[in-house]
Amino acid sequence: MISDKEPGFTLLPKDLEFKVKLLLILTVATAIAFVLYVMYARGVFEPTQRLILVVDNAEGVSVGMDLTFSGFSIGRVRRIVLRDDGKARIVIDVPLDDARWLRSTSIFTLERSLVGSSKIRVFTANLQDPPLEDRAERPVLRGDATEELPRMIAALKNTLENIEQMTATEGSLQASLGNVRTITERMGGRQGVLGGVLGSEDNAKKVVAAIDRANSLLTSLSGVSTKLDSALGKTDSMLGKTEQRVFGAGGVMDETQKAVAQANSILGEVRESLKKVDALLADAQVVGTNAKAATTDLRALRAEVDASLRKVANLIDEINRNWPFERETGIKLP
Amino acid sequence: MPQNVAAELVDWIASWRRELRFGGYALAAALSPSTYVAATRTVAVKQIYFTAWQILLPFSLFMALFSLVVIQITMNVARNYDLSQFALELVVRALVLELIPLLIALFVALRSGAAIAAEVALMRQSGELEAAGENLLRHELVPRVAAAAISLVSLTVLNCAMALVLAYFSMYGFSPWAFDDYTRVVGYIFSLPIMAGFILKCIVFGAAVAVIPIVAGLEATERVRSVPVAVLNGMVRLFFVLGLLEVVSLAAKYI
Repeated sequence: MISDKEPGFTLLPKDLEFKVKLLLILTVATAIAFVLYVMYARGVFEPTQRLILVVDNAEGVSVGMDLTFSGFSIGRVRRIVLRDDGKARIVIDVPLDDARWLRSTSIFTLERSLVGSSKIRVFTANLQDPPLEDRAERPVLRGDATEELPRMIAALKNTLENIEQMTATEGSLQASLGNVRTITERMGGRQGVLGGVLGSEDNAKKVVAAIDRANSLLTSLSGVSTKLDSALGKTDSMLGKTEQRVFGAGGVMDETQKAVAQANSILGEVRESLKKVDALLADAQVVGTNAKAATTDLRALRAEVDASLRKVANLIDEINRNWPFERETGIKLP
Repeated sequence: MPQNVAAELVDWIASWRRELRFGGYALAAALSPSTYVAATRTVAVKQIYFTAWQILLPFSLFMALFSLVVIQITMNVARNYDLSQFALELVVRALVLELIPLLIALFVALRSGAAIAAEVALMRQSGELEAAGENLLRHELVPRVAAAAISLVSLTVLNCAMALVLAYFSMYGFSPWAFDDYTRVVGYIFSLPIMAGFILKCIVFGAAVAVIPIVAGLEATERVRSVPVAVLNGMVRLFFVLGLLEVVSLAAKYI
């Protein structure tokens, strides 16, 4: 005895017996409490009803496994036996409290996952259906993730091959990406988006030059219209001055009137052309996708303007021809 | 050489026979009412006091720390591998069913077993044991065997309960709403065979820790130098027996 042999080394407390008793009582109480708790946890104190599931393959099912409803455990596998017909019979204890989730129309499934244990689930669509009776036997639908695997892998392999083809060096995806890259490079160039859309910098330059020419053309057009105005003014004043003189003169008057009408129509045409040029300018400012169309328009417009100018020149010539005294304001006397 | 091996084998078998004989004797004595007199009772109480009560607090603190670390590691690993639904089961199986009982058995062996072995060896060496004879065996050693076993069971029960509580709070925090979940897992783990195996393991551990050092002490002779050899042999044997019991228990459960 340690204490007997060396009394100075270890001191025995007076309440030694009490302390040891306390320890033993504590131990026994803990042990009993734990055993009771485990019994409670295993549902010993709960009245249960039995449910029997029949499945062709009970692989992965083990005693103590849960039956879950909406993710909650409502029952536990009690035993698994092989029936005479070769099917497995899974006996499940369901506490009476939880039995209300089991209805006569409930469906039971056994799912095997890749990782983790199998799961027995119950699905109840209508909770108003009559409740499932005690010792009811129900078939189980089986879903096996591993059975799907080979098929899944085959499909996956195909998909991967396709992707590989698409992304290969000569593949369509690479070519498309190359195209996109050239376009964006052009867009980043000096001519910006216009260059990207039109294909090359030269084309873009041409469009810009066309717009510049259109601008200068407009300037010259406005010069022409000023000249036309002054020419018409002159014509008016000439008409005013010569009216009384040539009023009676046959043919001349009529032609003059015709010429004036022509001049008016030409002016109208010029105005139309100017409007078109205005619209074109607006187009040209937002030029981008329809830049090519705009250049076509410009060409047509230019032709029109040329035609109009030619008509004006013709008219002036005609006036000159019909009106030989045009430049001489004074009358020559014989 | 072969004679030596044969002699060693005979010795080995003989010492194991002594262990079993003493174990059987201790069991018979513990079950017979005539052992329960005031003197044996005092011896047992003292033994329990020194083995269990005196170190209960520091040892429980250490076990709590150890449990917390193991629980955290298990939880983190389970979460990393996306298996957190198995974390609690893993913790309970590893910690409560295996690690804590084994650690406690080793601790009790270290604290009481070594002391008992040394004491018995010294008594043997001084001739005290032979003088007292049967009486000493019955009224001194048997109660100590019983007390060491009881101490071990007591420490195991208390520390396992503490580990279970710690596991709950580590897993779910201080929320009471996980109790159903927890209860379900505990109910699943502690099936009847597991529970019976656990109790049996505690008892066998207790018996080994109590009997082996005493028998080892009895193997000492009159020579002074035989005392440390006897103690050493006893402790090594105890270690191997505990390890072997643990392996057998694991194999029975999981293989």
